[in-house]
Amino acid sequence: MHRRRFGKLLIVLVLVSLLVGGVGITAAQDEPVTIRFFHKWPEPEHIAYYEWVIDQFEAEYPNINVEMEAVADEPYKDKIRVVMASGEVPDVFFSWAGEFSWKFARSGRALPLDDYFYGTDWEDQIVASALEPYKLDGHLYGLPMRINAKFMVYNKQMFEDLGLAEPTTWDEFLAACQALKDASIIPIAFGNEFPWASSHYIGDFNAKLVAPEVRSADYLLEADPDTLFTDPGYVEALARFKLLNDEGYFNDGANALQHSLARASFVAGRAGMMFVELEEFQMIADDMGADAFGYFVFPSGTGGAGDQNLMTGAPDGFMVSAESEHPEEAIAFLHFMLSPERGEEYVRQLGIPSAVVGAATEETALPLVVDALQRLNEASGMALWLDTDIDIKIVEVYLPGMQAVLSGSESPESVMQKVHDIAVQVQAEAATE
Amino acid sequence: MASLGLSRWRKYVTPYLFLLPTLIIMIVFVYHPIVENFRSSLYNWNTFSGQENWRYVGLDNYRRVFDDPIFYTSIKNNIWYAVISVAVQVCFSLGLAALLESTLLSRFSSSFFRTVLFLPSVLAVTIIGITWMLMLNPSTGLVNQVLDEIGLAAVKHTWLGEEGTAIFSVIGVSQWQWTGYVMILFIVAIQAIPHELYEAARIDGANGLQQFWHITVPGVRETFLVMTTITVIGAFKVFDIVWVMTAGGPNHASEVLGNYLYRVGFRNDEMGYASALAGVMFLITFALSFAQIRFNGTMSRETE
Repeated sequence: MHRRRFGKLLIVLVLVSLLVGGVGITAAQDEPVTIRFFHKWPEPEHIAYYEWVIDQFEAEYPNINVEMEAVADEPYKDKIRVVMASGEVPDVFFSWAGEFSWKFARSGRALPLDDYFYGTDWEDQIVASALEPYKLDGHLYGLPMRINAKFMVYNKQMFEDLGLAEPTTWDEFLAACQALKDASIIPIAFGNEFPWASSHYIGDFNAKLVAPEVRSADYLLEADPDTLFTDPGYVEALARFKLLNDEGYFNDGANALQHSLARASFVAGRAGMMFVELEEFQMIADDMGADAFGYFVFPSGTGGAGDQNLMTGAPDGFMVSAESEHPEEAIAFLHFMLSPERGEEYVRQLGIPSAVVGAATEETALPLVVDALQRLNEASGMALWLDTDIDIKIVEVYLPGMQAVLSGSESPESVMQKVHDIAVQVQAEAATE
Repeated sequence: MASLGLSRWRKYVTPYLFLLPTLIIMIVFVYHPIVENFRSSLYNWNTFSGQENWRYVGLDNYRRVFDDPIFYTSIKNNIWYAVISVAVQVCFSLGLAALLESTLLSRFSSSFFRTVLFLPSVLAVTIIGITWMLMLNPSTGLVNQVLDEIGLAAVKHTWLGEEGTAIFSVIGVSQWQWTGYVMILFIVAIQAIPHELYEAARIDGANGLQQFWHITVPGVRETFLVMTTITVIGAFKVFDIVWVMTAGGPNHASEVLGNYLYRVGFRNDEMGYASALAGVMFLITFALSFAQIRFNGTMSRETE
């Protein structure tokens, strides 16, 4: 009895064909210009910030009108691809860094930004290391809005009660989990209904257990077909992940739990630790108090061949569509948004580190966030989000494989075998195109 | 004679003129996309490749469909969906309808239960999905807590998180939502059965069960057939509730065709393969409705 809600198949096809056939709006020179801005933060506090930016921008540029649209994280991944293929492309749009953005760049959908950025005062205003993941073949295709990374947060009270220190090695981490478990506390809150959550764990393990040059060759599909994703470090990564689950260090039913509900259980004091993004620090502080929790870098790779000083995380940023009819105006808007004033306000309003130089200070952000940002600056580099850093077809095999490892229906070895097989196939397809 | 010719012409053309708007809409929005879908299933392409980059692969995409283990998982789940939906939404709700219409219940309680059972179907699928996700939560959800309280801790599960239970939990929620709705349709059908038949049966000494079997069931046969078809076709087209509750996971265990099609098309960006899946799905639902129409035709001819 679900028939009429989604007579979806045909409707979707028709809609897509309508979008493909849609016509762009052309404006005469002197008429007001409308630019379309599409991003993935529909939460009220984010919308309020962007509306504030747009109001200011429109006041300064009266002939430019900014139309904003936002959809949530998961649907954004689907929607942006379809929208970009349609005739009605947004002028400025959000994109994850790495493979996700390179796909737009390779297919000529993204405007190279080098000329607008390098050699201008803008260049000094953006954290340079956050630009790297938006570069392809020496050209810059995206500009970072904010910086995000993954840290393990813990409940200070519980650690104090049990006499635990912040773990610095894998073994110490396991010991801390065991101590929490013995005290009848869920050691790690974990919600994996949408398996990007486990991809953050695996991405972190991979970065630290697999040698950087091997991992990079595998992710970019530049390795020899026989060796793609065959490094033992990948199996070890899944095995360590499985160990956390099999020892009962994750809450029950992680595969059925949403990340936000897992965070709620950490905030409510039902769990001792949780692997969260820097941008979640403010939410946790709002709910449980800024002094109630601490953070440490997840010591996931002790003894591994990877770079132990890598951080899992990525800049989040925007790209400009190559088919934009008003690239100048789009860039002007982007420049306006990614400027010191707006950057500082971003940190102040949302508590999330901006990629604008010097925006996150003791004055604008939580001390914990400033501190974590410092740790991030000391890192040797960033391991991007696994699910946006490798080809989507591999992701669609790898991530469900992680769920299967969690539920015990597949072994780490068999998952990596499947990943290897699909990687070989994708590499071969790419070669024929 | 010109005038005769004109009026004859009118006679032939007028009905088609009236059909024309519908026909155009059907062609533009239904038949054309079906043909177009078949054409696009013969190519490998994604949303970024312009038409000139479509790579012709013949029937390879269809071959791939039948080699794809996830396709079989999806079909299996759709079949479970159909079987359970027919058993519960059609058969069981007919029983409920007969019960509510019988003299066993007072007027008050019969209209009370009618409303209560019907209510879930007016709620949005998303809301139902999210609410049930909370109820099925392994540690804080109502379902497991109730099982604990009544001493059935052994049957507790991580309902949506285990590969064995995920799809059945979703199917269960779907039954909860729609049984009452089908029941109302059956009640309407039962009310259309002439009362004299029941009176005559009672005089002849037929008990409730016999009345149900010999009067109610034949009386609602048309509705029964229609509901069966709609339910079965619906089971093959299901998307929303599965997408909300499990998104096909864990590890594709609760994938259904609609879901998988969407994932392949809009997440993996393999539009050609998605079109092939859509083609197969279309053939399945088409065959089912065709069979139903034929079957229904035979049945009504027999009753005449």
